[in-house]
Amino acid sequence: MKEVDVRGLSCPMPLMLAKKGIEGDPAEIMVHADSGTAKANVVAFLQDAGYTVTVEESGDEYRIKGSR
Amino acid sequence: MAQRRTIGPTAWLLGGAGLLIGAVAAWLISQGNPGNMGLCIACFLRDITGFFAGKVTNQGAVAYIRPEIIGIILGAMGAALFTREFRPRGGSQPLIRFVLGFIFMSSALVFLGCTVRAWLRLGGGDLTAIWGILGIVAGVLIGIVFLKKGFNLGRTKTVAKPLGWILPVFALVLLGFAVMSAAGSAPDWTLLTAAGDGPGALSAPLLISLAAGLLIGIVAQRSRFCSIGGIRDAILVRRYDLLFGVIGLLVGTTVVNLILGQYHLGFINQPVAHNDILGNFAAMTIATFAAMMLGGCPLRQIIMSSEGDADSTTAVAGMLVGAGFTHWAGLASSGKGLSAIAWPGLAVMMVVLLAIAWYGTRKTA
Repeated sequence: MKEVDVRGLSCPMPLMLAKKGIEGDPAEIMVHADSGTAKANVVAFLQDAGYTVTVEESGDEYRIKGSR
Repeated sequence: MAQRRTIGPTAWLLGGAGLLIGAVAAWLISQGNPGNMGLCIACFLRDITGFFAGKVTNQGAVAYIRPEIIGIILGAMGAALFTREFRPRGGSQPLIRFVLGFIFMSSALVFLGCTVRAWLRLGGGDLTAIWGILGIVAGVLIGIVFLKKGFNLGRTKTVAKPLGWILPVFALVLLGFAVMSAAGSAPDWTLLTAAGDGPGALSAPLLISLAAGLLIGIVAQRSRFCSIGGIRDAILVRRYDLLFGVIGLLVGTTVVNLILGQYHLGFINQPVAHNDILGNFAAMTIATFAAMMLGGCPLRQIIMSSEGDADSTTAVAGMLVGAGFTHWAGLASSGKGLSAIAWPGLAVMMVVLLAIAWYGTRKTA
């Protein structure tokens, strides 16, 4: 599974890294985020790219998993 | 790569958020706010600086505690707490962010408005805003060049919890002074623009401004509305959500201005604006370039700060201090046009921004 860490990064880095992460069409991708904005942007981005997205919250981290 | 959906449900959500913010901003003018300035983050922060320091910084025309700012902070904080998104964080080059906020404010005061007001001015028929909006596009493009080269200011970390509460606490202090002002008992060392002396004296009633601010704060926090992110994301990552936000803002404010008879199309005699084409363009280019390096427009900085982001708080602090400096130094424009030192000032700001951009790119290269 492709893993991307966008924790602590300002806009638009989370989106840029998520976009890079789905290059090559991985079947599964995990994005680690820690702000509501990064979470919302990455979730919408992955959904628009055709992934089914689940978000798991643990501590201060959002683990955003996309699969298709 | 598989085909991506270009316009998803979040785009419509942002369009609706922009529409609402634009409509509320236009309505606030009918309630007493200055022309085409129903909402302006730069101007309103500047007015707050004027209230506290205006006697020193020559801000007689622009001194008032704008309750909209208080509302936005408390609304965003409430929404963030409610959705468990309030997280004290910071430590990503706070000093540089202070400088970026300072420069953002200085250049915005040469244009006479922030990246939010640029759209609102256009929505009131002020065609001089077009030069500023072209500047926004130019600033985004310059920012993108550096982002593509790897620019970033580094990751934030979790910080001591009280640091995340600075702006919300400041908002409560402001509320105290706003109530005192409304009751006519503000301390002697503060300053309030006298009626007829400038835009600082034009305001909607305290409770209306406060309520409008609360609504805008909640909507902006939930939607992640950003006045520069739309153009940025469209060009950089081919995402159009945030662009729907600014289009909504423009449509909402235009429609309500037309309904309320506040729409005046033209280049001349626009409220709190000048028609120096190059000045407007250059000032907004610089302001937007600074905002690009901050990761969002001044409204976003306030929202993030209200979610516990101490770095955004230092950016907002830079804006407040920058406003005082810009008026004290005689760098701010007036309706008549640019000040005598506007161009040297803008040149210095651009050099500093390029140095920061170079630093932020080199560090990660």
